[in-house]
Amino acid sequence: MNENEKNAIHLPFFGIPQLLPYLKPYGVLMIVMIIMGLVGTAMDIIIPQFQMYAINNFIANETTNGIVYFLLLYILVIVVQTLSNMISTYLASKAELYVGRDLKQKSFEHLQTLSFSYYNRNSVGYIHARVMSDTNRIGTLISWELMDAVWNSSYVIGALGAMLAIDLRLGLLILAIIPLAALLSWMFQKKFVTLHRQIREENSKITGLFSEGISGADAIKTLTVEDKVGKEFSEQTNRMKTVSVRSAKRRALFTSTLSFLSYTALALVLWRGGIVSYEGMMKIGALSVFMSYATGIMAPMQWVVNSISALVMAQVNIERFTSLMNTKSDVSDSPEVIEKYGDTLNPKCENWEEIRGDIEFEDVSFKYPDGEEMVLENFNLKVPQGANIAIVGETGAGKSTLVNLVCRFFEPTKGRILIDGKDARERSQQWLHSNIGYVLQTPHLFSGSIRENMLYGRPDATDADIMNALKIVSADKIVDRLPDGLDSQVGEGGGMMSTGEKQLISFARAILSDPKILILDEATSSVDTETEKLVQDAIGSVIKGRTSFIIAHRLSTVVDANVILAVRDGKIVESGSHRELMNKKEYYYSLYKRQFEDEAIEKIEKI
Amino acid sequence: MTINKSKLSLTLFFMKGSVHLFLLSMISTLAVSLSEMITPKLITLTVDSIIEDKPIDASAAAGKLAIRLGGAEYLREHMWIMAVAIIIMALIMGVFKYLAGYFGTAASETLTERTRNSLYFKIERLPFSWHTENPSGDIIQRCTSDVETLKNFLSEQLTSIVSTVLMIALSLAFLFGISGTIAMIALLSIPVIFSFSFLFHRLIRRRFAECDENEGVLSSVVQENLTGVRVVRAFGREAHEIDKFTRQNVKYTNCWVKLCRIMSGFWAVGDLIGCVQVMLVILAGIYLCIGDKITTGEFIAAITYNSMLLWPVRRLGRMVSELSKADIAIGRISYIMNAPEETDAENACPADGTGDVEFNRVSFSFDGKNNVLSDVSFKIKSGETVGILGGTGSGKSTLMQLLCRLHDLKENQGSITLSGVDIRRLTARSLRQAVGIVLQEPFLFSRSIAENISMARIEGQEIRGASDIDSDMRKASEIACLEDAVNGFVHGYDTVVGERGVTLSGGQKQRVAIARILLRGAPILIFDDSLSAVDAETDAKIRRAIRRELKGSTVIIISHRISSIMHADDIIVLDQGKIVERGNHSELINKNGTYKRIYDLQSADASESAEKTEMEVRI
Repeated sequence: MNENEKNAIHLPFFGIPQLLPYLKPYGVLMIVMIIMGLVGTAMDIIIPQFQMYAINNFIANETTNGIVYFLLLYILVIVVQTLSNMISTYLASKAELYVGRDLKQKSFEHLQTLSFSYYNRNSVGYIHARVMSDTNRIGTLISWELMDAVWNSSYVIGALGAMLAIDLRLGLLILAIIPLAALLSWMFQKKFVTLHRQIREENSKITGLFSEGISGADAIKTLTVEDKVGKEFSEQTNRMKTVSVRSAKRRALFTSTLSFLSYTALALVLWRGGIVSYEGMMKIGALSVFMSYATGIMAPMQWVVNSISALVMAQVNIERFTSLMNTKSDVSDSPEVIEKYGDTLNPKCENWEEIRGDIEFEDVSFKYPDGEEMVLENFNLKVPQGANIAIVGETGAGKSTLVNLVCRFFEPTKGRILIDGKDARERSQQWLHSNIGYVLQTPHLFSGSIRENMLYGRPDATDADIMNALKIVSADKIVDRLPDGLDSQVGEGGGMMSTGEKQLISFARAILSDPKILILDEATSSVDTETEKLVQDAIGSVIKGRTSFIIAHRLSTVVDANVILAVRDGKIVESGSHRELMNKKEYYYSLYKRQFEDEAIEKIEKI
Repeated sequence: MTINKSKLSLTLFFMKGSVHLFLLSMISTLAVSLSEMITPKLITLTVDSIIEDKPIDASAAAGKLAIRLGGAEYLREHMWIMAVAIIIMALIMGVFKYLAGYFGTAASETLTERTRNSLYFKIERLPFSWHTENPSGDIIQRCTSDVETLKNFLSEQLTSIVSTVLMIALSLAFLFGISGTIAMIALLSIPVIFSFSFLFHRLIRRRFAECDENEGVLSSVVQENLTGVRVVRAFGREAHEIDKFTRQNVKYTNCWVKLCRIMSGFWAVGDLIGCVQVMLVILAGIYLCIGDKITTGEFIAAITYNSMLLWPVRRLGRMVSELSKADIAIGRISYIMNAPEETDAENACPADGTGDVEFNRVSFSFDGKNNVLSDVSFKIKSGETVGILGGTGSGKSTLMQLLCRLHDLKENQGSITLSGVDIRRLTARSLRQAVGIVLQEPFLFSRSIAENISMARIEGQEIRGASDIDSDMRKASEIACLEDAVNGFVHGYDTVVGERGVTLSGGQKQRVAIARILLRGAPILIFDDSLSAVDAETDAKIRRAIRRELKGSTVIIISHRISSIMHADDIIVLDQGKIVERGNHSELINKNGTYKRIYDLQSADASESAEKTEMEVRI
């Protein structure tokens, strides 16, 4: 369902150049971070020197002369190390969080401008992960992974330098082991990445099965398939275990090989170093320090490899983020329009004209961006201010297409839509949207109180306005029934309300915004029969003075419309008033008949 | 932080089958730690006695070994022997490291597998009322994150606890063997480092929770924006949304920045304490060396042992603080594991679905106060079709849930009998196999349509005329008017539905669920408003097909669409938990009551066609 990974872009240099603009504000911070990291590493390398100095000077010479300076210097180094570590870790987390925050912000803002075709192509879960996880991964990459890479590679280089300085021959011996260890790490690392991905996949499957077993408990019980789903679940957990253990075996093999390698290095140093030192060419203190470097170098080496593979893994995140930011909206305002009316973030409301509500389709042809077929061809329709257009047809017939065009959720492929005599594209989307009230079949409420949801339609409305609007659609009863009235929470996505209640509240919300154009998309399909009757009566007065589009399932609600458009298989097959269409005795007639054909069905039944 | 007995026994229950793995893992970890301790000993020996010409300490094991190998003189000539000894040690260590890694994961994964399975089976055995009382998000949280927490604790902490404690003890013992003064310095620093580490992890945990919460809020802001994108656009409230997001994004970021500031401070101080301790040990070592109390080799060994002490102590502090986290997790898991399961009565017998269904004075309430059903009595004769009509909250769905025993009636709440037997005396399983129910919001499993339809099939109850599962399935889909929809998918019956596949429309879902129940061949069929998303024509077609194909089945149809139930043999009208009207269609129409009123509402308008003035609209 999501934009295919195949279509994903591939960026050179792991996509890092794409990130530079986002890193720029934190350039200084990151440079200080790296410098502090380097200082910390330097101190890490210096500290063992104190041990060597102690052995070679104080212990070997059996004197404590100068021990005070020794101590002061030692303390100084410790303090510097502590401070630089503290600063670098703090700055790293800052860089991580701030870059993550900026990326989230940019992607979220960009999403607000993308057209519906993007949302139709990609599932909510997929887009959500782009905003939340990809940005976090990138944040981690440019901070901690970078720090790790800097710390560890500088430690490795520094320690190697120190070892070479202490004893060239022994140092070269160690140097010879490094490529071997690096190669080993690299080989293992690649396998780890795939295993890791596999584990995560299996894990998410387990979560999926859990959620199925929990939210589908009633279905599982009534179907008595407990054993069946239980067996599948245990198979899945077993798969998870198998993969995890396989991965653990790999990892264990890797760490034990690496540790064996590092001790082999140690043994070699001791062997060669022992001979050298016995021959008096190397001090014992130097030997002990050399050994601590030789063993200490192995873990950082492994981390450098880790950082590299993290970069490889994060490339996917960077590419996904970039492709989101590069996605252009199918519907966008021209620079001139933005100049005059402002954009999403800075609307210039002062330049917005009053709308009357005349709408005209002029030779409009349309096909959905992901569709093959034209769903509208040279369509013409003049809807004067205050007219009421009904769109009828079976579920899934494509009744929303026209409304999507009126709202400029999609642009016509050919032709134009005039609003108050001017091409819709000559004014901003925001201007248009602020004048449209749209009540959806699948109502959406935002978590918060009923009041907050109502204010979404008109931020400056008073409680009295709100109650009025609610009353029109008989939703005041819902509010009265709740203990906290307007302050009652609706839950995430309105989850604490029934679908019918959500429909009524979202209807009231649209009424409150007092739009010139009102669109009702099966607005009351889940409301019970008696309430629906009340709402239907109210609709007559609500649409007075507004240009309205009513998409309806139940035909009794549309007989009064000025024009009825009957849609079948995505295309408008008939149009006219109720009477005209009934007289025509074609598609609309059959739809209408069918719905009130109880008598007829009864007869068939009885045969 | 006390682990009470039930939690402990639950943990032990989960550990069944993995105890030996845990023990092996502990032993291997211990072996790794021990071999890590021996290597410095070998180095001391080499540096001291072999290179520096000090007498070999014959009391230590390494010393004995060295003497047996030919003494210092010989080893000096053959330095490679020591190198080989170290490499052999490294090999032993490598093998145990491998085993520790393997056993550790095998143990924790075996335990997690058992825990997950236990939870899953337990959840499926819990009564439906438990499911309605507990929000599913919370249960999933317990089954995933809490299990993860428990697993992490057991795999990372438990397996190493023996070795950690032993490392500390051994390091201290060796230090005492070298020098009492150095050992005392090390010993005194232990409480400081331990409590610092413990307090640190304690302190940040609460802040972590706060940041996590903020992340959750931010995540749901995004989620809501994405799912409500049409509303946002329709009201032109993008700026408002961005504003809301920005505020939460900043709040979330700042919360983490604050936490990181604290953490980096604490890390640094923790490091500082460690460094100072090392410095003190070096300082003491210098004086002891000069005073000839210890040798240079011992000095180096002391520093090594001391550094071996530092990490385990910090680790122990962390471990103790993690223990409380694991304790909370196991407590949350035990909430599920200790919930009482659904049980059958003693001597419960299998259900016979071919007889009459009778409700005798059934009253029911969820909260003990407000009755959802009050004094409902009616009888459905075998083979009849009954329609139930009622508004939202009239109790019609509860009625059917009671029949499937998704809720149990108490003694004083009346009774429901099937073929004359009280359903409380039947096994729940056989009852549910006899009663096939299609729920209002049908639940499909995220697998193929074919699997969804055939998964509920019971051997021996196949619908007539079909011999194998495939033609059975096609027959069922045909009756449910599903064929055309399925043929419209590229993969036909193999099309996967849900999260990982195509999203079916409400009507398609309902029809899959109907096909699923038909394939089951249960003698009693309930359609709980399960044709609401299907258009009237298909609705009628399905009902006709059911009547034709399943003659002899008892069918109960719940709906608020009159046309769906008007042809039933018997119609029951429910209002606020009471039966207000009963009879067949024409009887109820003549009664001129609720049924008639709803009938009029739904079929009204046919007569009052549009006589209104039409505005000038040109096409």
